[in-house]
Amino acid sequence: MFSLFQRAQTVSNYVLTLVMTMAAIISVSWLIQLHFSEHGSIPAHISVNKAVNTMKYSRNFGGRPNSGKENVRLAFDVTTDLSSLFNWNTKQVFVYLVGEYPGKKDEVSKVVFWDKIIPTKEDSILELTDVRSKYSVWDYYPNLHNKTATLKLEYNIQPHVGPLIWGTADAFTQLQFPEIL
Amino acid sequence: MNLRQQLGSGLSMAMVLASAFAFWKLFSIVTMSNSPIVVVLSGSMEPAFQRGDVLFLWNREEYVGVGDVVVYKLQEKDIPIVHRVVREHRVVEKDKKTKKKVQKQLLLTKGDNNERDDLPLYAYGQQYLERKRDILGRVFGYVPLVGYVTILITENVYFKYALMALLGLSALVQDE
Repeated sequence: MFSLFQRAQTVSNYVLTLVMTMAAIISVSWLIQLHFSEHGSIPAHISVNKAVNTMKYSRNFGGRPNSGKENVRLAFDVTTDLSSLFNWNTKQVFVYLVGEYPGKKDEVSKVVFWDKIIPTKEDSILELTDVRSKYSVWDYYPNLHNKTATLKLEYNIQPHVGPLIWGTADAFTQLQFPEIL
Repeated sequence: MNLRQQLGSGLSMAMVLASAFAFWKLFSIVTMSNSPIVVVLSGSMEPAFQRGDVLFLWNREEYVGVGDVVVYKLQEKDIPIVHRVVREHRVVEKDKKTKKKVQKQLLLTKGDNNERDDLPLYAYGQQYLERKRDILGRVFGYVPLVGYVTILITENVYFKYALMALLGLSALVQDE
């Protein structure tokens, strides 16, 4: 009754069960440890130094040859300490600066201006001054000027094994998008 | 080896396949996703996800959020892509067929390891992904590397033949 096939099947079943059990144990103990290391209250400060609005007609910036779109770029300062998010099962933290602004009734948009991959605890204290936004941001509709966005710093913790966790740092600032240059 | 034994082993083989299929469909119903478990095929999300990592998807929310890692499938391409949402617009528009106002969520995605967003990947003229139409699910959990076997099978012909030869050989030489 013990063919090669059956043996292989038993072994692979056993390995799969073992891997899944290990993954479950690792993620639960990691979550408990993160909970006690005060993740969820991350000190931070954001301030915008400059915002520039330009009209773009390229498809790469959301526009078309005959209908342009307003593109906003920023220069900003950001300081934060993400070191409490790092422990033995943290592979990396992905941190990003988002702006949220309302549209017409029931409409809302959320856009990322800048992000950074933080691979180790040594890199987790950010003190950035006058950084330029990584992305030129445009809206679904042509215009962005005079809309007021709330800027926040959010993060995503990625483990070696287990669930992904999202959070927001304790900082926000308001920004009114300027008129076209 | 008689006919009865052969039929028996055939039946147990069918049982294995059927139960695997049933589990897959059960996961599908629980997560509401067509493919609740996916294997990462490209390096565009490195160092977060490498080729061969297994991702678990969840698709029960009405909207996905900025910063979420999602798996999407473009209409004319058959390969699912794992990237991060960098922009969302919830807009109210009139549906062309029913003439009623519906709220849509439009998304722009980007691979963490890529220089720019996914606009060049989308179909010509397509500006956004649509939550309901294109998104297979949001990644909520992750196990590294165990999916590499599937990459070996699909991309390496020799590995595939070796595996099939091994199975065939074992079926021939088994003595019960």
